[in-house]
Amino acid sequence: MGRRYANPPIVEAICEFILTAETRWDLTVPGLLYERLKQSFPQKEQRMVQEVELTQGPEGLQQQIRTSERLLFVTEHRNLLVQVGPRLLVVNALKPYPHWEGFKPRIEMVWKSLQETIDVQGLERIGLRYINRIELSAQSRELNEYFEFYPFVGPGLPRHMTSFLVGVVFSYANDRDRCRVQLTPITHSETEGKIAFILDLDYFLARPRGVAVVDVLDWIEEAHSRVEEAFEGCITDKLRVMFEEVSG
Amino acid sequence: MIYYTDYYKPQPKTSLVRELLETGAEGVKPDPLYIYRSDEPTLGSVPVGIVAYLPSVLPILFRDLPQSSRLSSPEIAFPTPQRGSESVVLDIEALMGELARKVRLENPQGIREYLLRFPDLLDVIPRAVNTAKRHFPEAQIVMGVYQDPEIVDCYLVLYIRLRHYDDSVINRLQKAESEYLDQLVNKAGWIQLTTDFREPGKEDAL
Repeated sequence: MGRRYANPPIVEAICEFILTAETRWDLTVPGLLYERLKQSFPQKEQRMVQEVELTQGPEGLQQQIRTSERLLFVTEHRNLLVQVGPRLLVVNALKPYPHWEGFKPRIEMVWKSLQETIDVQGLERIGLRYINRIELSAQSRELNEYFEFYPFVGPGLPRHMTSFLVGVVFSYANDRDRCRVQLTPITHSETEGKIAFILDLDYFLARPRGVAVVDVLDWIEEAHSRVEEAFEGCITDKLRVMFEEVSG
Repeated sequence: MIYYTDYYKPQPKTSLVRELLETGAEGVKPDPLYIYRSDEPTLGSVPVGIVAYLPSVLPILFRDLPQSSRLSSPEIAFPTPQRGSESVVLDIEALMGELARKVRLENPQGIREYLLRFPDLLDVIPRAVNTAKRHFPEAQIVMGVYQDPEIVDCYLVLYIRLRHYDDSVINRLQKAESEYLDQLVNKAGWIQLTTDFREPGKEDAL
């Protein structure tokens, strides 16, 4: 088990399943799934999501705008929710993060409920993503004191940056899986005397159908270990002190 | 980083990017390069997720560079871009960035926390703000969180602030609100368009 923190920077943890096209899905699925989940996620809501799809075709770049409805099943305390869209299932844990021992059983429950509802043929993508919001004092200009993952700027470039985006995709399991790590400042943070950063770790199945349906939960456990390692690899002891590491 | 910004913009016909994007095989429906969601976070005006699209173009961009400047093929062989995860927090941050350009935000942390509790409002707010701006182009628009002092209830509020108020204001408010009210049906959260009859603050660009 990884390190534990009394004041972890996690603002959201997300587990996402995108099912392959051969999995049969129709309009009744969200309702049937809700029936199975409503004891834990009693509040049913909805939102619209607009997507623009860019496709490289023979006539150049083509774009398609579409709107899709997303159903949200939310817990009483509103800190856990399930999002359901066509062949899409997402479990979100918001702050305060319930720790892995609290989050994983919810993922299992939602995943098993989906399997009881439909015959899942395969997975296009599975993702386990952790979004961390890290606030530093506005005087903390030296990123390398806090991060082991930050933009390198050579001596020929200006010292003053107004914004940046640093991202790396790491490869795991013979490139079946990948982990995208990104660090960006929040330019409209507005917390007085603070600067804030988003450290975003997204571990995902990069090879569609690369994991059998029966092995999904094992994959998620493995993904969690890799994300923990990547997180620890991104920060210095100075941040560990800020997050108040708990021994034992 | 420079490429990231530059090549997202529409390219002229002579662009190397465009030329190579047009070389797809006929009759084959290709996988999407990139899916942009309206609420995706941006860095400046560039959606963060397009970083997933860029790598498939990068090898093309480097085609005409001297060999010594090229990345080796394993380095440029990025995977087929994936859709990003469905993050509520990042959706909120994207919206906050957009709102900061359009309205004055009072208590932004409170707005964030409200949206975390009621993410179903995320798709309504842009419409409410745009409607308010269209009906009150001369107004300063202020967004905040209203906390009812008498009961445990709070909701988002959009205040219209004008230099001069006349009798038509209430009617105009009702007309504007009616344009997005139907979208609040079945939502757990609420956003109210109203006025506090105050004058616009100095920092707002009218």
